[in-house]
Amino acid sequence: MSKALVCSCEDVTVEDIRHAVAKGFRDVESVKRFTGFGTGVCQGKSCLSAVGALLAREKAQKPEGIVPFTPRPPLYPTELSLLASFPVDESKPPVGGVPQELDTFPATLRPEGAVPTRARVVIVGGGVLGLALAYNLSLRGETDVVVLERGYLCAGASGRNGGGVRMQWGTAANIELAKRSIELMGRFARDLGINVWLRQGGYLFMAKTKAVAERLERNAALHNKHGVPTRMLTLDEARDVVPGLSLEGAQAVSYNPEDGVIFPWPFLWGYANACRKAGIQVETYTRVTGFELSDGLVRKVKTDRGDISCDTVVLASGAWSPEVAKLAGVSLPNEPHRHEILSTEPLKPFLGPLVSVLDSGLYFSQSMRGEIVGGMGDPLEPAGLNMGSTLRFVSRFARALTEQLPNLGHVKVLRQWAGCYDVTPDNSPILGRTPGLENLLQLSGFVGHGFMMAPAVAERMAQWMTTGASDELFTRFNLRRFQEGKLEREDMIIG
Amino acid sequence: MRRLPDAASRGKSITMDLEGETVPAIEGEPVACSLIAAGESVLARSIKYHRARGPYCFSGACSHCLMRVDGLPNVYTCRVPARDGMKLERQNAYPSAKVDVFEAIDWFFPKGLDHHEMFAGVPVAEQVMAKVARQLAGLGLLPTAPAPERLPVETVRTRVAVVGAGAAGLAAAQVLAAQGLPFLLLERDSVLGGRLLSGVPEADAPPPPAEGLLAPERVRTRVTVIGLFDDEEGHLLAAVSEGTGEPRLVRVYAERFLLAPGGHPPMLPFENNDLPGVYASHAASLLVRRYGVAPETAALVGSGPELYALARLMTERGTKVVAVVDLKGSPPADAPAGAVHGSEPKAHGHNAVSGFSYQDASGRRVKVACDAVLVAVAPSPSFELARQGGAKVEYDEAREVFAVVADAEGRTEAPDVYVAGDVRGARSAAQAAADGRRAAEALVQSLTQAAVGGKS
Repeated sequence: MSKALVCSCEDVTVEDIRHAVAKGFRDVESVKRFTGFGTGVCQGKSCLSAVGALLAREKAQKPEGIVPFTPRPPLYPTELSLLASFPVDESKPPVGGVPQELDTFPATLRPEGAVPTRARVVIVGGGVLGLALAYNLSLRGETDVVVLERGYLCAGASGRNGGGVRMQWGTAANIELAKRSIELMGRFARDLGINVWLRQGGYLFMAKTKAVAERLERNAALHNKHGVPTRMLTLDEARDVVPGLSLEGAQAVSYNPEDGVIFPWPFLWGYANACRKAGIQVETYTRVTGFELSDGLVRKVKTDRGDISCDTVVLASGAWSPEVAKLAGVSLPNEPHRHEILSTEPLKPFLGPLVSVLDSGLYFSQSMRGEIVGGMGDPLEPAGLNMGSTLRFVSRFARALTEQLPNLGHVKVLRQWAGCYDVTPDNSPILGRTPGLENLLQLSGFVGHGFMMAPAVAERMAQWMTTGASDELFTRFNLRRFQEGKLEREDMIIG
Repeated sequence: MRRLPDAASRGKSITMDLEGETVPAIEGEPVACSLIAAGESVLARSIKYHRARGPYCFSGACSHCLMRVDGLPNVYTCRVPARDGMKLERQNAYPSAKVDVFEAIDWFFPKGLDHHEMFAGVPVAEQVMAKVARQLAGLGLLPTAPAPERLPVETVRTRVAVVGAGAAGLAAAQVLAAQGLPFLLLERDSVLGGRLLSGVPEADAPPPPAEGLLAPERVRTRVTVIGLFDDEEGHLLAAVSEGTGEPRLVRVYAERFLLAPGGHPPMLPFENNDLPGVYASHAASLLVRRYGVAPETAALVGSGPELYALARLMTERGTKVVAVVDLKGSPPADAPAGAVHGSEPKAHGHNAVSGFSYQDASGRRVKVACDAVLVAVAPSPSFELARQGGAKVEYDEAREVFAVVADAEGRTEAPDVYVAGDVRGARSAAQAAADGRRAAEALVQSLTQAAVGGKS
């Protein structure tokens, strides 16, 4: 069959690029994500300039708007075993990281014209939470909504996570939300017309210390109470679930076969498409520059493309939420924390569940495309909006990963990247009204898990916003709890 | 492809095992080179449409030559030296790469396959597809054994780290050597010289590096730089060294980084541009100059001086050049006879190139028979390291590539990162060498000033 290839690693054709442009994905980063070009073995070496030239020729973008995607290390595929040999001083916190150009979107990428001068609801943040909320509002008849996103769709945490979705949590609220979310993800393609490729291969949690083992056992009982079929596995059973898995030092293993992994990017496109279809404006490359306040209310949202007067503002900016809240004079306890992650070359399927060592925060799964995708938290990572990549991470991760699955030693890393967790003091989100600014609604602080909670949280929030019916979710997780000392501690956080 | 009859003996004749068949090879030659010389044009199957693939770039910048080698998946056979008894397997194909039933996917989806919307919302089909797609996805199998314990990381501290020993890097290294400045030159290939040795010949190119040009302790070959990172001590290059056989990680700390990694051979989008038998000009010149392997008949397509120089090189070495198609304009006066301005190139053939066609200036479609299509376009600057080091990268409209932004002396936005050669946008070898010299001189000056500044 005659095809003109642009990216031969991922079999992306010239037609695929045109299709993406026709769908509104007009900048290199967005086209990369939509078509998959440059995500394969060669990481764009042979295709990036060809795609740039195509976008220029198709007049999809002005020349100044044709900016390359950030080249992630390693430059050439590199074996995990070699990366694991890099020495890491665990006592020193990580420093720097190769720069991630997220604050420098050229002005030419900004859509032409002004934003609407008025909207009933303005949602700050075009990540999965903001878009899911907008979509759920539209289902309830509220379509006078504008979603503001400072970059391209998928630029923030929603486009940078490992895609894991699980019901194994430590609090009833999170278990219920996650259960509902996974149910909605299973229907996502039918409801929104785009595949998120949910694969329920389960989550296998491993505990290496007594305290964590007890926590797993306690939580499994709680899961069962909520109808989640988590069970504690013997080591032999665990070996059957993941052949080749080293269980050295494992004190306990829990497994819920209904947890799974989805492909993060289409999740956002699905919501964004549905929003646009409903008449909601999703404004990318638009930055919020301030708020106009009076009488305890937000009156206007100021952006670099004009001001929008509004009745309600929703703050759904994830790791950027403290920064945005500050513009309204609100101080949030959230802290952004870099979380690094990597992807290997794609291999034929051999790994069913997502595996996580709860003690170290190591997690890994095999994506639908066959890559091992995984990350590991760093206890010394300083707070800050840093999305750079470090050698320290690949080394620590490679060592921890090959310890669990030794046969991965020869497998090559294709790219590493980072995103920011939006961490709150009790690992639980901040939801509901802002004390002192009644029409500023909070929807952030999900500590890296907003992605998997979004469908259910957005559903509840849209219901709460449009009906005014009280929902304990928005009082329980209200910002007030930090002053009142009623924290909602979650203990099943990976990383 | 064939071995040229006049090719000097280049090494010991050995054999490799290709899926149970014995294929001849030459020890130390890239595996892919031996395979195509032995008439094995299909080395792989593509990931989605299972299209036949043979090597394209011969520089580890595409994925066309990936095979399972001695049990390890996705090995760049264009970079791995052939060894006696090496076990080679094609990946992603059933029952074999030559007759792959999954090739049907390519035919079923003539307009392409959009997996975002495919079967979305069709309840049963969607679930079945999810299962099928999972089985079809992925490339290569999990290795059956753990990797050996790796050698400890080697740490090198030097004043200047130079990446790439092509025209630009070599010229820069000579300046640094003359100034007596401690430096380390890192080269991915096993020999120094880059295109001076294996590229398309250029009339005004500097001579290839003479033996002993640089002190041995200043040069490392077979070192692949994988990133320009930073840690508490500052910027460092991470690299994989295969110089002594066993790969090991090396980290190089330096006060200045002079990056001259050249460019990657890009894909030129045209119909069937991924057919086995379509080669980048870099690959064609490397094969013929270093390994004495060339097609019988070839069609050339592209633009710029490299197109015509390649036509001359191939003709000189006995390849019958059946078409030279310039996509950007009319051929210059000194172009080889028969060169034309054309558009809409297309490669023909089922599992390998058997012909090439294009539209001529009068709008007529012209088709020629050939066994190779050689693509000669400007390389895509390998800007990755410079960008990781903090340099700015811009789209160069005229050259249609992304190139590092630098001043005439190779200074970038990052004070310790200098660039030279193709990484700034396509340069001739002579220009690249001049770039290298200027950048090295500016860099020496900056170090001297820093030293003076430090004392005051």
